[in-house]
Amino acid sequence: MGRIETDVIIIGGGATGAGIARDLSMRGVKCVLVEKNDIASGATGRNHGLLHSGARYAVKDHESAQECISENRILRKIAWHCIEDTGGLFVTLPEDDPSYHSQLLEGCKYAGIPAKEISIRKALQLEPNLNPGILSAMTVPDGTIDPFRLTASNMLDAKERGVVILTHTRVTSILKSNGRITGAICTSKDGGETEIHARMIVNAAGVWGQEVCSLAEIKLPMFPSKGSMLIIDYRVNGVVINRCRPPADGDIIVPGDTVSLIGTTSREIPYDKIDDYTIDDDEIDVLLSDGEKLIPNVKNTRALRAYCGVRPLVAVSGEMDGRNISRGIVLIDHKERDGLEGLVTISGGKLMTYRLMAEKTSDLVCRKLGVKKKCSTHKVPLPGSESRFSSGRTVKKFSGIPDSVVGSTFYRHGQRLRNIMTGEKKNYRLICECEMVTEGEIEYAIKKLEVKDLVDLRRRTRIGMGPCQGELCAYRGAGLFHEYGGTTPEGSVDLLYDFLEERWKGIRPVLWGDGLRESEFTYWIYQGLFGLSHINDNKKKKG
Amino acid sequence: MVYDCVIIGGGLAGLTCGIKCAEEGLRTVVISGGMNSLHFSSGSIDLAGFTDNGSIIKKPFDYLKKTASGKKGHPYAKAGLPAIKKSLDFFISRLSEEGITLNNNGDYNHFHVTAPGAVKPTYLSQESVYSPAGKDIIKSGGKIAVLNFKGFRDYYPEQTAANLKKHPLFKNTEFIMGDISLPYYLHTEKNLHEFRSTDIARIFETERYLPRIADEIAKAAGDAGAVSLPAFIGISNYREIRRKLESMTGKFIYEIPTLPPSILGLRIDSALKNCFFSKGGEYIAGEKIVSASTNKGTVESIMTGNRSTSSEIKSRYFVLASGSFFSGGLQAGVSEIKEPIFNLKVQGDKKRSKWYSHDFFDRKSHPFLSFGVETDRNFNPCSEEGKTIKNLFCAGSVLSGYDPVKEGSGGGVAISTGYKCAERIIRELEK
Amino acid sequence: MIKLENISFDHCIKCTVCTIYCPVAQATHLFPGPKQSGPDAERLRIKNPELVDASLKYCTNCKRCEIACPSDVKIAEIIQNAKWNYVKVHWFRPRDFFMSRTDLVGLLATTFSGLTNFIINLKIVKVLMHLFLGIPYRMSFPSYQKGTFTKLYKKKFRKSQKAFEKKAVYFHGCYVNYNNHSLGSDLIKVMNALGYGVELAKEKCCGVPLIANGYIEKAKKNASYNIDSLGKTGESIIVSTSSSCSYALTHEYPSFLEMDNSSYIDRFDYITKFIYDEFTAGNIPPMGSVGIRAAYHSPCHLERMGGVIHTLGVLKMIPGLELVVLNSECCGIAGTYGFKNENYEISQGVGQNLFRIIEKAEPEFVITDCETCTMQIEMNTRYRVLHPVTLIAMALDKKG
Repeated sequence: MGRIETDVIIIGGGATGAGIARDLSMRGVKCVLVEKNDIASGATGRNHGLLHSGARYAVKDHESAQECISENRILRKIAWHCIEDTGGLFVTLPEDDPSYHSQLLEGCKYAGIPAKEISIRKALQLEPNLNPGILSAMTVPDGTIDPFRLTASNMLDAKERGVVILTHTRVTSILKSNGRITGAICTSKDGGETEIHARMIVNAAGVWGQEVCSLAEIKLPMFPSKGSMLIIDYRVNGVVINRCRPPADGDIIVPGDTVSLIGTTSREIPYDKIDDYTIDDDEIDVLLSDGEKLIPNVKNTRALRAYCGVRPLVAVSGEMDGRNISRGIVLIDHKERDGLEGLVTISGGKLMTYRLMAEKTSDLVCRKLGVKKKCSTHKVPLPGSESRFSSGRTVKKFSGIPDSVVGSTFYRHGQRLRNIMTGEKKNYRLICECEMVTEGEIEYAIKKLEVKDLVDLRRRTRIGMGPCQGELCAYRGAGLFHEYGGTTPEGSVDLLYDFLEERWKGIRPVLWGDGLRESEFTYWIYQGLFGLSHINDNKKKKG
Repeated sequence: MVYDCVIIGGGLAGLTCGIKCAEEGLRTVVISGGMNSLHFSSGSIDLAGFTDNGSIIKKPFDYLKKTASGKKGHPYAKAGLPAIKKSLDFFISRLSEEGITLNNNGDYNHFHVTAPGAVKPTYLSQESVYSPAGKDIIKSGGKIAVLNFKGFRDYYPEQTAANLKKHPLFKNTEFIMGDISLPYYLHTEKNLHEFRSTDIARIFETERYLPRIADEIAKAAGDAGAVSLPAFIGISNYREIRRKLESMTGKFIYEIPTLPPSILGLRIDSALKNCFFSKGGEYIAGEKIVSASTNKGTVESIMTGNRSTSSEIKSRYFVLASGSFFSGGLQAGVSEIKEPIFNLKVQGDKKRSKWYSHDFFDRKSHPFLSFGVETDRNFNPCSEEGKTIKNLFCAGSVLSGYDPVKEGSGGGVAISTGYKCAERIIRELEK
Repeated sequence: MIKLENISFDHCIKCTVCTIYCPVAQATHLFPGPKQSGPDAERLRIKNPELVDASLKYCTNCKRCEIACPSDVKIAEIIQNAKWNYVKVHWFRPRDFFMSRTDLVGLLATTFSGLTNFIINLKIVKVLMHLFLGIPYRMSFPSYQKGTFTKLYKKKFRKSQKAFEKKAVYFHGCYVNYNNHSLGSDLIKVMNALGYGVELAKEKCCGVPLIANGYIEKAKKNASYNIDSLGKTGESIIVSTSSSCSYALTHEYPSFLEMDNSSYIDRFDYITKFIYDEFTAGNIPPMGSVGIRAAYHSPCHLERMGGVIHTLGVLKMIPGLELVVLNSECCGIAGTYGFKNENYEISQGVGQNLFRIIEKAEPEFVITDCETCTMQIEMNTRYRVLHPVTLIAMALDKKG
């Protein structure tokens, strides 16, 4: 069994966990981050990536609204390469209550969110694909933020500051003695066990936090709420479009990189189903019909995938019943609640307040460890956002490579583009043609960004996230994985198989039209031409 | 002008039907909406590869004879074993007129190797994929060099070799891996925008590069007696090129089909088209048929949708060989399956959740692969109201009742049904 | 954010067939291929218009990608749109300006045809054009006739055409108007033999070179003029001998320029379709044997229009014509594309296959419908090129 000595174990590699790792490491605290799957594979990677202006909370929850707008401003400074400043609109449809519009304006003013009413003509100029039948519109400083980039940058920063990152590793037992935490044992995917000795454990495992607590023999009931989203295969809107009415299903369309997302729904699911949830057909219908009401073009577009994420909702102070469920930030010191020193749980909140959540958690942890240094994550830019320069100028520097390729890589990695486009021939070879991912980028991700399989690779580079959903690039990606030392030649076929199955999960619910054609084509190539499942048959003797 | 036979769809089924009709003197035209799926095929013809529970079939004709009575809805049952045999012989002979040799292992299926290293059964293959000489080499267990081209991203030799080793056929074979460098690669420097199989095929077709290529192959292969390359030693004159390379290197050359575009498939496509033209057939490319006018159970004409004004085409007989979803022969709406030109009765579940299986690589395959147009024993379909259309025939993957991937029967169904429809039309016209 | 007009890229299922058949991608590695420049890049251009790439300029708009596409993606249109939507064309480009304004140049040149023909063939002028205008030294402009075809028609034909009961309108296009009157005369001969009198409508250049060089506004103006003028021709049939003009009038006007051409579209045919319909309905004038072996080259735009089958049908009915149908290949000139220095090598690379198969066929003449294909083949092989209509006229002469 391997052994690590450290100060703090962070369980959970979502935005919050990665953010805590970064924050603590900046204050000189030694940490190990343990994540059972890949970074950003939980709720972090399954939301619509909205950089809130806070306007959504301006009417009912002023505190959250203020938190949002202030974090919005901070993230624009430190993580600009993960953010797109699209701006947002709140529009009222003929069937909505027109009074909500003024309530929203009031609430924004009160919370300090710069919301401005504009004419319908101006709104249509801003967003030509908008439903021309809207009654009113206002602009808000919404934006979009890419959760994968964000988490990867935090993780990269933490790693560069000495944090040990263990992905695909599961905590199997929590060690304590005399009412305090002494460490944890974790098992990696290949079966190897590691014993980690630490003074504190931060439970940042999102909705799996309930399981983590039970390892420490603590009851922390969570109330998972499934939220589903539909992805349209190209960008139908340039600005975030919100429906101006009290929050309900299907009232937002968010543009994200090369696609648009229609969201969301909200369905409670039992805890034992959190790893086994799917999107229902009626949810798809709701999303499509509501999306059409905001942008009529949705009717003619291709639904690329549909997926859902689980919101980790906890009772306010960790109460047992579900009455006071909070969507706000919940930070629990288990010394106070359960008498166990050294364990804290951070939950709730939203993607864009991750830094604040990390700050609050790190403050608590440092107080307990006796570390005096203050948080500076709001001041120091993330890797990739180091110095600001426009994409236009960058693109000109790499002549000979198509602008669309350079531009896409720049979008994904910001300043770190220099590490990728180094001038070797292979850096220009396109592996994923839909999202313009080059071989150089894949090599960089495999070697530097904690990538263990193709699904991880997809999160770091967007390979397989375009219209083809891996049709051509999956095979290439698998082959390169082995060439760059990430796996054995036989293992690369397993990666390929798993990746295609993972993509299929999101394609199945929307299998019609061009999506069905694409899947038929993909099936013909991988099963008809390549005979992929026959290779597995040889190995596993399924007979 | 009225044609004798209008074939909608220029794929394997459409062209087979077209060649047969044209050589019997019928005024035939093939209308193709876009390029066909031969462009992504393995370049081999699958007749019957797998049983219902997934075991490999050794002798396809025996298997078909045994199972025909139990599968009345299957296109093979409708075509009948004699027609299947005749159509394959017909296919082999017409292709050999165009310089493509298709080999088979007598009554047995033979195996071909796939890019990631699977071994699949098939019935007819081109000579660089299966030949008696090749069979002997593999049997003898000598070294095989699995080579790739530097800079070609659509093939990974180590993967092939590692997985082949797990198969009983190759478990004692020693594999050598290597890379060869091509002249083109050196010139392109940064501009490797797209280095596809077709680009490489063109390099091979350039006479003066061959000695250099042969050198590279010989060097990389070392003392191996056989060399496998990803498939692109030329499209039009590949037999010549292969012969030259084999004599220059002294090694047996084997081809493995990889990601599209499929050079092996392109060779068949080009040969079929040349054969069709040489028999006097007419071909319209890039035209999509949008509708048809039917009267009293007979198709009178079809309309093309290409021009701003559509063009009407009249014929005595029509063959619908428009392919499945990929080629647009069948369309899947949000909750229904349609055949878009004639609105024919299709076999396809009403519930979308029943179109697919839970896992992508499910052993049961996916139901939508067997969806298609329902026809009677003569390959005549029905309109949506249930009326049989006597002068319309259906062939190829637009048909219902079979799963080309699961069964390993895509090529066989296309050729035999295309041929059978042609026979029917010729007979009717003789009357 | 732009309003999404052409969403056909949504249907692309990445099968890569278009790239196999793109003649430019085959000839040069500077062009990433239609799939990458079209539907792939379009998703990125929607996100950020700055991501448009200079390599788009190599696309010749031959439309072979659209012919090959099984998913109905209007690839070439997507690329043309991208080229001109995002590239700011502010500066005055004298070469592109003059090459696309065929009416302006044609009028001047035919007025002073002797002088013009002398000058454009002078070696020193060619060298200067190569150095300062960017027009390749090895390209020759077609010679200009004296006066326009419209003037010739008024003088020589107008009276005689009045005698016919059935009338057809002839959209002659710039090539016949300024460079090749005899084709126009041949057309009149053939129409007369079919029993139709020929009339002319007022016309301006159909706009193909204007669109290709980015002068969209001017192209729209010309289109509007032509739509108006052709709309005033009552119920007459309208024919054209140029496959490129025909393509523009039937496809580019409604699709790319988004103009309503319903005023004439139902009555308009490219000439071989009209003749084919007439011949097959029984209206075949007596023709003598031409005794020629000729090779037919199908122009890209005609293929895209679905018109090759009619030309072939007509040619097969000409007595004494030994016809060799060449494999479909792009000639490489792509209108004004081949007349530009930066494209010359690509243009030649694309055309190599065609030149080779023409040589192999050993014909006496080459037949094609498109005027720029004619120029390219005559410049690069030793064969003369004839229009199908000219062959019919020859057959009519042999009888008469």
